[in-house]
Amino acid sequence: MRTGVYQKLAISGIRKNRKTYLPYILTCIGMVMMNYIISFLSQNQTVAAMRGGDDMQMVLGLGCGVMAVFSVIFLFYTNSFLIRRRKKEFGLYNILGMGKRHLFRVMFWETLIVAAIALGGGLLCGILFSKLAELCMAKILGTEGSLIFSIEWGAVTGTILLFAVIFFLILVNGIRQIHLAKPVELLSSEAIGERPPKIRWLSSLVGLALLVAAYYIAVTTEDPMAVITLFFMAVIMVIIATYLLFISGSVALCRLLQKKKSYYYKTNHFVSVSSMAYRMKRNGAGLATICILSTMVLVMISATACLYIGTEDAIRQRYPRNIGMDTYSVEESYTEAVHEIAREVVESHGLLLENELRYRYLGVAGYLQENEIVFDQSKLTRFGLDSYSDVRQLFIIPLEDYNALLGTQETLEEDQVLLYCTKVDYNYDTLAIEGLGTLRVKKILSEFVANGIDTMQMIPSIFVFVPDLAKMQQIFDIQAAAYGDNSSYQYECYGFDLSCGEEEQIAIQQEIKDRITQLQLADAAFPTVDCESSAAERTGFYALYGGMFFLGILLGLVFILAAVLMIYYKQVSEGYEDQARFLIMQKVGMTKKEIRKSINSQILTVFFLPLLAAGVHVIFAFPMIQRMLVMFGLSNVPLLVLVALGCYLLFGVFYVVVYRGTSRAYFKIVSGARG
Amino acid sequence: MTILEVNNLKKIYTTRFGGNQVMALKDVSFQVERGEYVAIMGESGSGKSTLLNILAALDKPTGGTVLLEGKDISKIKESVLAEFRRDNLGFVFQEFNLLDTFTLEDNIYLPMVLAGSSYPQMRERLIPIIEKLGICDIMNKYPYEVSGGQKQRAAVARALIMRPKLILADEPTGALDSKAIDELLAMFSRVNEDGQTILMVTHSVKAASHASRVLFIKDGEVFHQIYRGNSTNQELYQKISDTLTVLATGGENV
Repeated sequence: MRTGVYQKLAISGIRKNRKTYLPYILTCIGMVMMNYIISFLSQNQTVAAMRGGDDMQMVLGLGCGVMAVFSVIFLFYTNSFLIRRRKKEFGLYNILGMGKRHLFRVMFWETLIVAAIALGGGLLCGILFSKLAELCMAKILGTEGSLIFSIEWGAVTGTILLFAVIFFLILVNGIRQIHLAKPVELLSSEAIGERPPKIRWLSSLVGLALLVAAYYIAVTTEDPMAVITLFFMAVIMVIIATYLLFISGSVALCRLLQKKKSYYYKTNHFVSVSSMAYRMKRNGAGLATICILSTMVLVMISATACLYIGTEDAIRQRYPRNIGMDTYSVEESYTEAVHEIAREVVESHGLLLENELRYRYLGVAGYLQENEIVFDQSKLTRFGLDSYSDVRQLFIIPLEDYNALLGTQETLEEDQVLLYCTKVDYNYDTLAIEGLGTLRVKKILSEFVANGIDTMQMIPSIFVFVPDLAKMQQIFDIQAAAYGDNSSYQYECYGFDLSCGEEEQIAIQQEIKDRITQLQLADAAFPTVDCESSAAERTGFYALYGGMFFLGILLGLVFILAAVLMIYYKQVSEGYEDQARFLIMQKVGMTKKEIRKSINSQILTVFFLPLLAAGVHVIFAFPMIQRMLVMFGLSNVPLLVLVALGCYLLFGVFYVVVYRGTSRAYFKIVSGARG
Repeated sequence: MTILEVNNLKKIYTTRFGGNQVMALKDVSFQVERGEYVAIMGESGSGKSTLLNILAALDKPTGGTVLLEGKDISKIKESVLAEFRRDNLGFVFQEFNLLDTFTLEDNIYLPMVLAGSSYPQMRERLIPIIEKLGICDIMNKYPYEVSGGQKQRAAVARALIMRPKLILADEPTGALDSKAIDELLAMFSRVNEDGQTILMVTHSVKAASHASRVLFIKDGEVFHQIYRGNSTNQELYQKISDTLTVLATGGENV
């Protein structure tokens, strides 16, 4: 046969299978586009030149990898669906005298055509939309984007290479499947009667146990150190559990319902329950995937959106005031000098020190053992691998500073303290500090000013308010004895807000820094002073959080695309299978209306089960997400709840739209049967 | 007593664009008495299937009437048609038409569940039927696990469980091997002896030779009929063969 024949067969093959091929090609185009856009953004010079652009490109670089892996998995999945439908046609060609070798050539041409369309269309769309993406990113970073249009050739070749490999693998996989099958099998591959599902109790129970365990971990883990590692463990457990439960758990449930005769043999339940068992067996894996994708989209978008929206909060947590200065001494002569410099610089700009913040503290780390703080590691009575999670950051602060700061009139006796804890609660009414004896906790406070060190660190902090400065000095001496040269300092934390623009704030910070350096040069004993400005750090925050948000949206879009396509294919393939069943039921005496109702309720259940399960997953993941966000300096719970809820609703609406669209395709196929 | 009365039935199919008209049934009239076992024979394209579809109320006639116990089935409203079919007619198809999502037992229950019967009630009806048909021990199997003959028996059981006025069988032996055919026909005879009215469409002489009366359809008309009288199955078989020969060679009248 001449080559032209294969090309013609390939083209007509694609054209005749429009219904299944078109979504596949569109998916390929979409994936190529997304891949190009992400790699464009991560390589583009204009982006790199933006403020915070390089940080963003690092985040996007990670996204590139995720995207590539996902493309492989996803295109393989959709293609396997296509091959299943094409096998019959190939079987016919085979019987009509085409050798398998010839079939491979047809497949080769088909793959080549699809690849050409996908790469051509995808790159075109990618190049068109890359500018839009760039502008969006500039917006997120809070800078102006340029209007120069550019093509990143490195991204183009990278994308072409990636997809050439993917399409090659897909072709090889297709050839393998055709090669292994006998012609008769090819012919009837679609019509192979499916065995009724058997219950697999073990995997159902394992799934249930895993899910409960994962939920338990998610809800009960409070230790921020453990959250990250356990979160990934919990995610994997949930994924496995979701697959097990969707595939075998649902069948087991249907079987249980069937055993209950008074329930099962009712007009409304009879047909639905038994065909549900079937559907779930066939679609369990697909539905579980949809469920997991939906959960990912929801968690990713709500977490990153929340971070992005809460960036200002996070900055405020990390930098409680516009300008913050930590002096490594509580000597009044030094601290007053620092205050003086700040006042002079600010006044020289015609501004006022607003919202002043000042407190002295001793910052030390120790092990919390029951209710005792131990500084010396060798004195730990309980020692284990997890002892790192017992580390606490202590801030020892004199009571007078607390009262002055919050305008309170608290009093303490000699052996009393006030406590304020972050991240983890403290549940004892005494606190023993090594070398100092046991102190009585007068009260656990619910509020104190934000502290940058606490925000930055993962370990929980305990703010201990002691009666006077002498007590603080005493603790300082004890820990100095324990740590020797590594001992900590006593600090004075000083900060204030300014009502002026960012540039001026940065200028003021610089001036203060310079003045202090002069003092330090003049006096060798002058302590170190850390001077920070939130304005100078803002871009960095926006680049990081904005980058994550942007990536969250891009990946979210791709996952949604994947979910939509899976739903569509599921509906179409089910439609073809249900055609015959629809007809039989009609002959046996079910009205069209009854059938429609029954099918509708089944589709609805099957369709919304993943969404529902995703919702439950998100609810249980919530405490963990919240704790992880705290580490990013975001403790705004209502915001997270609102954003998560908003995402869920938006996703739900979108889901319903997809459902409407695909179920119409389904009914069209089913009613195509005569009767 | 007459259970089914078909008067001057006519069916014309019009092709989709209104061009050609195809006369499937020209003028068919016959009656079926309660407890009768009637076979309708005819070649492919003679209008058998059209007739059966109209009798089953799956299709509407162009002219004429079908009266089931005096009630015109073409006048039944679409909304209650399925219910009517379920309560009055039992179907046995060539391709069995069992649902692979159900066990055989559940397949048999299907029409009763649709009618809203309770489980004990269904069970009570099921036992005698499956005992008679000899399929008691495969009730928990799925259609794909049993042979064609067993599937067809389950389908018969499904048709019987509603105690229909009339069983309509469409080429019930068409997809079976010869042993299964013998068993099925013997079963039909037993069921008929218990008083069940059966109307069977077939082109198998063997199947028709078990009936009490055989109608021949040709070109959309009832061409001829044979009563069993006192003949044995063998003698009836001979008569049917002879008639078919005459039909095929184009004899004007027998």
